[in-house]
This record gives sequence, C-alpha cells and structure tokens, in this order.
Amino acid sequence: MASLFNQFMKTAKINPAIFSKSALVFPTNCNTINRGYKHWNPKFKKLRAQKIIKVELPDPDIMNKSPEELTKEQIKKQMKERGILPSRPWNEKPVYISCTGGIFEPYVPPEGDGKVSAITTQGAKQKLEFIEKKSKSMMAIRKIRSFEEDFDIPEFINEAQQIYINSYSAMINKDRDKLIQNITERAYPEVVSNIADKTIHWEFLESIERPRIVHVRCTDVITKENIFSQITIRFHSKQKLAVYDRFGRLMHGSETLPKDVLEYVVFEKHLSNKYGRWRIHDKVIPDWMPPKEPLKKTYAIEPVPQHDSVEKAVAV
Amino acid sequence: MNALKKLFVPIVKVQHQLTRNTFVSQIRNVNYISKAMPPLEEEGRERPEKSKWLAHNDKIYPPQTPDEERRPAFVCHVKKDIKYSPKKMWYIACFVRGMSVDEALIQLNYVPKKGVIAVRQAILEAQELAVENHNVEYKSNLWIAESFVNKGNYIKGIRRHARGRVGEVEYKYCNYYIRLEEGQPPANYYNKPVMDKEILLSKWIEQMRNRKVISSL
Repeated sequence: MASLFNQFMKTAKINPAIFSKSALVFPTNCNTINRGYKHWNPKFKKLRAQKIIKVELPDPDIMNKSPEELTKEQIKKQMKERGILPSRPWNEKPVYISCTGGIFEPYVPPEGDGKVSAITTQGAKQKLEFIEKKSKSMMAIRKIRSFEEDFDIPEFINEAQQIYINSYSAMINKDRDKLIQNITERAYPEVVSNIADKTIHWEFLESIERPRIVHVRCTDVITKENIFSQITIRFHSKQKLAVYDRFGRLMHGSETLPKDVLEYVVFEKHLSNKYGRWRIHDKVIPDWMPPKEPLKKTYAIEPVPQHDSVEKAVAV
Repeated sequence: MNALKKLFVPIVKVQHQLTRNTFVSQIRNVNYISKAMPPLEEEGRERPEKSKWLAHNDKIYPPQTPDEERRPAFVCHVKKDIKYSPKKMWYIACFVRGMSVDEALIQLNYVPKKGVIAVRQAILEAQELAVENHNVEYKSNLWIAESFVNKGNYIKGIRRHARGRVGEVEYKYCNYYIRLEEGQPPANYYNKPVMDKEILLSKWIEQMRNRKVISSL
C-alpha cells in the first residue's frame, strides 16, 4: 500500500497539472460556502420547497455547443427525448478529379546537387545518369506534344517560373482565387495551412542558374484517354523571406538577408482537359537534404506516464 | 448598394479602443492603460457575425521594425452562459484582474465561491489558446489584463405566494470575458496607496506632532 502511495506521489511530482486541475475541489479549510443560507427550523422545509414550481433548466453540457461538437450519445438522447427518428445517412458524393494524389515516379535528385562541380568524378557520374534517364522523359514530352502542338521547352520554363512567382505572391496576399489557378488541389491545403494570421514578406531576387526541366512523366487516370502529366523543374535562385506573427513580430527569416534556394518543383497539367493549365503540384525533397533548422520556440515536453510500474505496484 | 451604405452612415460610432481603455481604467480607478489592442475597423450598427470580443483575436497587426518595442501578444476569450449570478461573479472578476495567470490560479483556490470554477476554466482555456494559436512562448508569462462579466439569459420561474398570487423566480446566467496579455502584470495595478515603512513612519510622526494636549499652555 505504501509503495502505491509513493508511486502516486512520484507521478504527482512529475505532472503538477494533475493537482492544479483537481484543485477545482475547494481546500478543506474553505467549508464556509453554505454558511448562513439554511433556515433555523427545518420543520417546514418540505412545504417551503413545494412553493416553488420546478423549471427544467437546460443541460450545461449541451447548451453552448453546436450540433457538430456533441457526441453521438448526446444527440441520440436528445432525439429520443423529442421523439425524432434519425435521418437516413446521405452517402452519395460527387467526385471530380482535377489533379492526381501525389507524384508518380518521383525524380531522385543527385546527391550534393548545387555544390558538386561537373568536372569532378562525382559530377561526371551525375551527368551520365541524367542522360540515361532522359529517354523516358522524351517519350513523355512527345505525349504532351500530341495534346499541345506548340509545346516549346524554353517557353515553358519561362512560363513555369512565372507560375512559381505568381503562386508565391498569391499566397502572400492571401488571394485564394488566384492561388488555386497556380496550385493544384493537392498542394492547396499544404500551402494555405498556418498562413491565415501571419504576414509574409517574400522576394524573388534572381536565378543563380537557369531553371531546367529534369523529369517528365505522363499517366492515365481511370480511362486511357484521361491523361495527366507532371514536369519537374529545378530552380536555383536567391530569395528573401521574413515571416511575422499576428502581432507583427518576426518569427522566421530576415528582411535583409538573401538566401540561396535549390528546389525541385513538380508542375502538373490535366492534358485531356481543354481548359487545363500548368500548376504547382508538389516539391521533391531529397533524402540527403541536411536537417531543418530547429524551432526557435521553447515548448514543454509532456511527461510519459509509466504504465508498467503502476501496474506492478497495483499487483503488489 | 455601396452608395446606399455611404448614405446611411451609422450615427453611433464605435469608440477608439485606446480611448475606451483610458475610460475603463478611469472608472475602475486602475493604474494602467492598455496599449496592446489598437482599434478594430469600425463597425456599424449591424451585428457582426462573430462576437466583437472574439473578433479581436482575428486582427493582424503590421510588421514591426527591429528597433521598435515588441508588441505584447494577447488573447481574448469568453465563457458563455455560466449558471451563476453576474452580480456575484463580479467580485471574482475584479479580484482576478491585474494578476499574473499563475498567481490568479493560486489565489482562486482560496475563494469559497461557486463561480470560481468557471473563472478558473476560462483562464486555463485562454492560456492554452495563447500558447497554441497566438505565438506565446511561455505560458506563465501572461497576465489578466481584462476580466469582466455581463448578463446572460435569465430563465423565469414561478413561486407560489399566499392568496393565490404568484411571485417570479429568476434563474440567472452570466457570461465571463477574459483577456490575457503577454508579460508581467503592472506593479500596483489597482492604484492602492503604498504603505512602506518610510511612509508609515512619516505618518506617525505627523500624527504625533498634530496632537493637542487639552487645556495646556
């Protein structure tokens, strides 16, 4: 028994929140709550109580909540009380596939890209590999040309860069209508998350290397004529980024310091769609990328409850 | 439609937040004017979709330059329809105001009132919101800048009186509003007279000197 108590005290020390929350119960010395409210003679207590006609007050658990917040049991209970039959669930959903769910046959960026020179052995190897993988990309480009006759690679690269810059500026201005014209439905939630209450300052300064196509793929979805195509473009550029929180305090980056950015951006187009357009779909993040800068914010790690030892103590 | 809107400019305009803050600190005799909540956009008579109090949480402030003083974070929170009288809740709301969050949570342990439970919950909820959504780094580095109550729904009941008459019973509900601000609470928030030893001594000396011995020289 004593060991159990000790164990309990130990867990209490680790997590003082248990105690502060249970402090909703008043301390023992505060027994003055009902002082002075009772009638001195309890003889007619029942008759006095009969004077008041009882009113059914709303349940505090249900009162402030919207129907979405209520649990299934609470809803069921309420419906039973009012004699309402549950409605038939509506399971039909219209589905429109405007983009694929991910990258198919993703590009594997060579290790040390942006740092290795073409003259070294490693650099030469990379070049050779790149040429080997080119044939499949050429086939895919031919497929794109069968839908778009005037598909020109250098022209497309310029267009892609413009889409890249447009999508960033739409994100910064929180212009959701313009954003969806430059970004696919798959990338949209990733881009939009957490920007609602932030102020972002971003600037595209210059391209260090000319952007180039590294990978092209086509695939069909459901039917054979329904073709999507993805083009991966390598951008190596100088950019400036500063993120401010809701109160205008700097959270990340810097207003003055430009940084070199190497990115593999995947663009996607629904080729079979007459009104399809090239949009940013995803970014390829290589395995060899150095780990991200740690978070600047301090946060508490929640203590892990020691289940095993407690069970042992109970068994004893 | 816009031209129509311009024609019917609402006569009552919403007060500037800063003037409101000074006004509030005057009527409450408080030694502090909040600068954390610059004004929201003007709202007409139409009732906004979200409550005005919670709309403060959506306002985005312009970025600060590095040499500017760091703007304190704040979070507004409300607990609605508490089954407690607003008149009784007022005492707790005033008691907690101007304390740091940790201090308030400790002090509330020793207030033998039912409303304390709701106030404590409101503080803890607001604290969590501040840390999770409003970029507050340390949850202890918060203080209660505003804390007030208003009337919620009253449900009416009946009570039997003599000679076939009826009396009215009110089942009272209240709403509790709280705003936590980042930083340490101001010293002497309630502008109470300071009683340190020098002041006490000088008071005593003055009192002694003002004595009058009756029928003396």
